[in-house]
Amino acid sequence: MKNDIQKVRNIGISAHIDAGKTTLTERILYYTRRIHAIHDVKGKDGVGATMDFMELEKERGITITSAATYCEWQGHEINIIDTPGHVDFTIEVERSLRVLDGGILVLCSVGGVQSQSITVDQQMARYKVPCIAFINKCDRSGANPARVIDQLKEKLGHNAVAVQIPIGLEADFNGVVDLVSMKAIYFDGDNGEHLRIEPIPQDLLSEAMQRREVLIDAASMFSDELTEAALEGEVTEDLLLQAIRKATLTREMTPVFMGSAYKNKGVQPLLDAVTKLLPCPSDIENQALDTDNDEVPVTLSCDPQKPLVAFAFKLEDGPYGQLTYIRVYQGTLAKGDTIVNVRTGKKVKVGRVVRMHAAQMEDIEVMPSGYIGALFGIDCASGDTFVSPGIGLTMTSMHVPDPVISLAIIPKDHKAEVNISKALARFTKEDPTFKAYVNDQTGDTIISGMGELHLEVYLERMRREYNAEVTTGMPRVAYRETITNRAEFNYTHKKQTGGAGQFARVAGYMEPITEEDFVFESKIVGGAIPTQFIPACEKGFRKCLAKGPKMEFPVTGIKVVINDGSSHPVDSSDMAFQAAARGAFLEGYAKAKPVIHEPIMKVVVETPVEFQGTVMGTLNQRRGMIVGTQDEGHMCVIEAQVPLAEMFGYSTVLRSATQGKAQFTMEFATYRQVPKGVADELIKKAAEEKKNVA
Amino acid sequence: MARIERFEDTDESGTRHKAHISAQAPLRVKPSRHNLAPNSELETRGPKPDPARVIYLKKRNFNMFKKDLILRNPLRLMGHETEDILPKGGFGAVLARAGVGKTAFLVQLAFNSLLRNKNVLHISLDDPVKKVCLWYEEVFRNIAHQYNVKQTDQLWEAILPYRFIMTFKVEGFSVPKLEERLTDLTEQGIFLPHMILIDGLPFDETVRKPLSDLKTLAINHSMHVWFAVRIHRHERPGPDGMPAPLLQVADLFEVAIQLQPVGKEIHVRGLKGGTAPSDHPALLLDPSTMLIKDKG
Repeated sequence: MKNDIQKVRNIGISAHIDAGKTTLTERILYYTRRIHAIHDVKGKDGVGATMDFMELEKERGITITSAATYCEWQGHEINIIDTPGHVDFTIEVERSLRVLDGGILVLCSVGGVQSQSITVDQQMARYKVPCIAFINKCDRSGANPARVIDQLKEKLGHNAVAVQIPIGLEADFNGVVDLVSMKAIYFDGDNGEHLRIEPIPQDLLSEAMQRREVLIDAASMFSDELTEAALEGEVTEDLLLQAIRKATLTREMTPVFMGSAYKNKGVQPLLDAVTKLLPCPSDIENQALDTDNDEVPVTLSCDPQKPLVAFAFKLEDGPYGQLTYIRVYQGTLAKGDTIVNVRTGKKVKVGRVVRMHAAQMEDIEVMPSGYIGALFGIDCASGDTFVSPGIGLTMTSMHVPDPVISLAIIPKDHKAEVNISKALARFTKEDPTFKAYVNDQTGDTIISGMGELHLEVYLERMRREYNAEVTTGMPRVAYRETITNRAEFNYTHKKQTGGAGQFARVAGYMEPITEEDFVFESKIVGGAIPTQFIPACEKGFRKCLAKGPKMEFPVTGIKVVINDGSSHPVDSSDMAFQAAARGAFLEGYAKAKPVIHEPIMKVVVETPVEFQGTVMGTLNQRRGMIVGTQDEGHMCVIEAQVPLAEMFGYSTVLRSATQGKAQFTMEFATYRQVPKGVADELIKKAAEEKKNVA
Repeated sequence: MARIERFEDTDESGTRHKAHISAQAPLRVKPSRHNLAPNSELETRGPKPDPARVIYLKKRNFNMFKKDLILRNPLRLMGHETEDILPKGGFGAVLARAGVGKTAFLVQLAFNSLLRNKNVLHISLDDPVKKVCLWYEEVFRNIAHQYNVKQTDQLWEAILPYRFIMTFKVEGFSVPKLEERLTDLTEQGIFLPHMILIDGLPFDETVRKPLSDLKTLAINHSMHVWFAVRIHRHERPGPDGMPAPLLQVADLFEVAIQLQPVGKEIHVRGLKGGTAPSDHPALLLDPSTMLIKDKG
């Protein structure tokens, strides 16, 4: 294993569904000689692409888990994280981006910048990941890379500049012209492995000259040397590449490459670009929080000699135990080391250190800073930080959204019951957006996640990997309760009839807030409630939030202020004040006009123009509010906000309404008040369920 | 074709009611120079007041703010009594050079209709839906800031269902295409616009034909249309001061308003329709927020 940080690249490949991420990764692995045969996604040979190693992924043609893999190109070590494209698995994308130094944004030359590309781009921007773009599928009919570059500029706000131009398009797509070296590149051999470099064809020369000028103009904004050289007409390849790299690292420019991964064209120049334009770990400044010093951010150094700071970004449960994907940010992680999990404070000994290659792995002795690998036999949760003993640094926690949908599952037999608990324990540890709990009233096991497909995939995995057959209930939406008015309360809890007495009075008011879920404020003066009982009051109020009095949904967006009360020298206690707070909450809540809120999803449908009306109709029927329509030639994009409760089974409806030509993505947008009619229906249903349980 | 009542408002009790201002009980609003405006539609329309109705403080503030915004709309401030200065099928133009604030002005006109619960179809040529949404958010934020309103979420949520954005590529836009889209919307009862805003239509020598077709469409659908018209520095205006892009098609327009940067200010000048064209700027726009600053 080499140890030159300048020659390490940790990259991710992100894109919209079906833009060809997995195919591209497969080709990269082939050209870097990590695999010796190419298997396509949904290929006829039935083997499936190497990165889609889960059986289910192969079947559906989608990538679910970010599989980390490693390869070498031109003396550079490249770690690739293959990320899922569906929005339901966004947490996977976010976790991957957290540990990456650079990204390849794959775009379809026909579909262009699609809705998921926008989401992925926003995520890249959030983690400031520099990226290069690859316009894939240039062999497809309707391919138009120039339009995609325009969309990158308009829709994503990138300073996208072509570094290549295509030689022919659609069925005539033959190769690319490199605007830096001003050479034409063709891809010969059965799998495009032999590069043939030739002069630019005459018919493309003037366009290439013109595009190169644009590239030099754009790059010279970031390099005075290049500007001078351009004025003198002596632009060298190195100078141009340096300027492009500088602009790419600061995300001020997005160099655009093109090709067709499926037809084995344009992948090797893209790999060159990864090594030449994307950052190495030491180019990126990473920060950790100092837990010993009020969580002050500390900049980490890539020095392998410094104390270890490593971040566990993904867990997998395999046949040999838990596999923890880890990135080392500082220091070196070696077999036999003792490291500390910052969250639990526990010391663990590093057993096996491996480098992952999709479902296979190779043992390594050490993992220096900047590297991505995996550990065996370490008990931790994803998002944990590991450090050398005596260090109190933690990587910033990741943004984890709350689940919006839940489903009751019932095991078919006793064997399934045991297996389900194993499966759930693993899935919840692996995926922070997937949660499981037991409903106290019904005794049902409830799983919740980020969308219908998200839960479906886990159910399928339970069946296949754990042999656990389950029956499922109807999916349930995560409703919430909140109040709409300010209301006062003044409640006395009194029980002084026999035995140890209880006395507490709590008075104040509650009001709606939008910024936070719950705020508690004490404006008690003069000791009306003794100071030691104020935390008990807060606890009492907090306990009421889990199940709202109206519909037993969680209560959010509420501020409680207590400003008066009274106590008894003997009979007042923590318990009495908690009980008084509960009574006060119920009293105030009833007066504060409680309402139910439901999750609203941002739904983006891409459909051929002829189905625009039909699609809008389907959204409208689902209480959807159509925000707008965007005409993109023969395709159009419809953006709408639709209650999640109405979106169950929408993919089937959309497919049949559009002859399977439309696709949609959905992500959580906001919570909004449920209309009266729907709320009444919910109340009726809840009452019936309660009756049945009783 | 069924008449469309696309949206319903929901009050604190969760009761849905048709959210026409006129359908709500009149509010006990503190008299001010705004709400005492003569011929105000707000005061003349609507059912008899219900004396027993309780007006919650929050709702009162909300409605006062809404009313205030309606009364402070740019057209009213220019001397037009209501926003309906355009007849059915009428055309209005907001003319300015690039970057002076045509879109922001159009969006303010849109807000005026949205606040009156009238459907607005915003057509943008070239800008994506997201960017148009950002315009609305930005102008709304500025308005809320100017009026020092804290809780604007409720109002924002209430007006959103009245807005529909359509974007086209300039070269992909045509009146028959628009008509087709409108039919999609109206036939299914999804959206029936009262007002259309068209931003980005090139006013070149070929514009007369699409404008005439649009006029017919607008008359048929009982809508009025506002256009953002870009004027260029090098084009000479007509003898009556009418900017060049409108010279050949001025007869199709009932109202024309020009935004003119003068020093650090932007003057809003009525060119045609409403009150007589005046040499003195009627209003000033604040260049930082693009909102009406003060009466001239």
